[in-house]
Amino acid sequence: MLRVRCVAALALLLLGLLPGSAPAQMLNARRLGMGGVVTSDNGDHSSSNIAFRAVPKGTMGSSAIPIPLGLIQYAADHPTFDSSDSTFNIFDALNVLTNPPLTIQIVKPKDVSGDISVYIAQDSLQIDLADVKRVIPDGSMAQGGVYHLGGFGAGIRNLFVQVGPIVHVKNEFTLSDRLRDALKDAVPFTGDTRYGVSDDARAQAAIAFQAGLALRAFHLPGENEKENPDPRRNGATAIYLGAAPKYLLGLAYGDAQSEAGITTGDTLFASSNPVTFDMVAQTRHATIGGDGGVGHGFGSDVGAVLYHQNVEVGVGLNDFLSQISWKTTVRRHVYDNATNEFTTTEVATDEHYVSRIPVTATINVAKRMGETTIAADAVAGELRTTLHAGAEFWLGMWALRAGTYRDANKIWQGTAGAGIRLGKLGIDMAIATHSRNIERERGAELSASLSIY
Amino acid sequence: MRRFLWIAILAALPLAGCGNRNLILTVDVLSFMDPASRQTSYGPIPSGVPVETVTVFQDSLSLLQGVGDLSRVASASLKVGASFDNTSGTANVEFQVYVAPETAASPFSVPPIADLPVQLLPGQVTNVNTTINASPILADALTHDRAKVAVRMIFTGTTFPIQGTETLTELTAIVVLKQDL
Repeated sequence: MLRVRCVAALALLLLGLLPGSAPAQMLNARRLGMGGVVTSDNGDHSSSNIAFRAVPKGTMGSSAIPIPLGLIQYAADHPTFDSSDSTFNIFDALNVLTNPPLTIQIVKPKDVSGDISVYIAQDSLQIDLADVKRVIPDGSMAQGGVYHLGGFGAGIRNLFVQVGPIVHVKNEFTLSDRLRDALKDAVPFTGDTRYGVSDDARAQAAIAFQAGLALRAFHLPGENEKENPDPRRNGATAIYLGAAPKYLLGLAYGDAQSEAGITTGDTLFASSNPVTFDMVAQTRHATIGGDGGVGHGFGSDVGAVLYHQNVEVGVGLNDFLSQISWKTTVRRHVYDNATNEFTTTEVATDEHYVSRIPVTATINVAKRMGETTIAADAVAGELRTTLHAGAEFWLGMWALRAGTYRDANKIWQGTAGAGIRLGKLGIDMAIATHSRNIERERGAELSASLSIY
Repeated sequence: MRRFLWIAILAALPLAGCGNRNLILTVDVLSFMDPASRQTSYGPIPSGVPVETVTVFQDSLSLLQGVGDLSRVASASLKVGASFDNTSGTANVEFQVYVAPETAASPFSVPPIADLPVQLLPGQVTNVNTTINASPILADALTHDRAKVAVRMIFTGTTFPIQGTETLTELTAIVVLKQDL
């Protein structure tokens, strides 16, 4: 049991080192082959821009069913989770946890390996993490996002209602410059210096009750309107708008801002205790059935998309102006170095607090030219902005795709794919590079999915 | 000192990540010693005293105490270096290093873990060094208990008087740890 607890604690500690949130794997191979770009007709597009709901699906529109080929690879070869095994590598295990093996990994970053050296003298301390330095990022380690976890809904004509859970989490862990230098560059620790860390954590969960409207607001028929009602390809000029206000029933909220540090004395390892510790944390929370009870708030998803001469320009804002009011309990926790004790003070009870669910903005452009589509998008969220661009070429029943994207680690990646369409059903494959690993280094994966046209 | 050392080790151990990786702790024991105790004058040893024993130092060390509780010691070694500035006389010296459990009555109650022969000539500086490798006694003493550590010299003279200064130049413990989660 102790072993399990230790491994769990170690995993949690190292999760703090994870790169800027491993973004979710893209399991839609058609879209991944095009660099992961959003358009109004490739996959789960309506979650990016609510106005897409009103746009006719078109002959090339599809939704995807992932084929988790990576599970086969994982079954044949996977890292051990037994810490007593000589092959156990905590970084391999964390890579599995943060990057579920749903795609085949063609190229993996080199394993984190090698010995760690610590040199100690009375007035010197140097820690050389060797290969482990690769997992320590240059800046803050931020993770999180806004997750809409399914739900259910119904619609009539242009109106729809839906209910679903929404979870927002964010954690930003920062090493002080001195501590980062000491760990990442093996700079010796020095006397009279503070080595600190800070962490800003926030999590909230709510149920969203949403009612919305998505409709065509403007229309100038194109030349081929009668033969082809698809505004993406018939040359029409059209504007589609969508808006869906939502009531947010807050289930739980919590945040914690903490700072901790060690300040060395004149001599690092003097006979008396030469270091002082400091730690201050302030927490705020409210929970359904507990302190503060439920929260109440409102928000909305809004979007617009313009078609003109087979060019598509879309703007979608999810969780626009979304916020929840809570009655929160605020506590302050302080460590006293002199007494070696923590003291907790209740700063406020039922304090009114308004939390914000950060907006996710998606801007996309696409141009259809016969059997060819070229597209690009920018997706900006609380922690990162990703860029995608790609193209799709149809040659009869076959499709060829290529694309590029700048990922959450600000690394440009490349993708390529192919697909075949047989009536309403298609199968797609894509090869893409990525950096969804604790080393933040480039790997490559093979993804597959079925497309329902 | 202990608290900062613990933090350094606790910070490094998780990053070692278990498995087949090692945490290599190198401790400059000499830096923790009183500078005055690093140097010992010997002599003058007059004629008629063919064998003379001089204790360089003896101390109780606990630098890595407790580390063994959370990690497995794969190996331990000790690097020892000394310099003899012999002003007069000629002698063969046995330079001996002792490491004994804290419970031992004296560090000299156990056999030495290193015994270096040194020849001293008049007016010459002689440097010696050695590494004591893979010593289970050393590993146990350095990491689980306080250890009694001592260094002494046994002079067997041929010309007299023998006189000079011995300086410890290196005393470094190297402990290789594997994390036992």
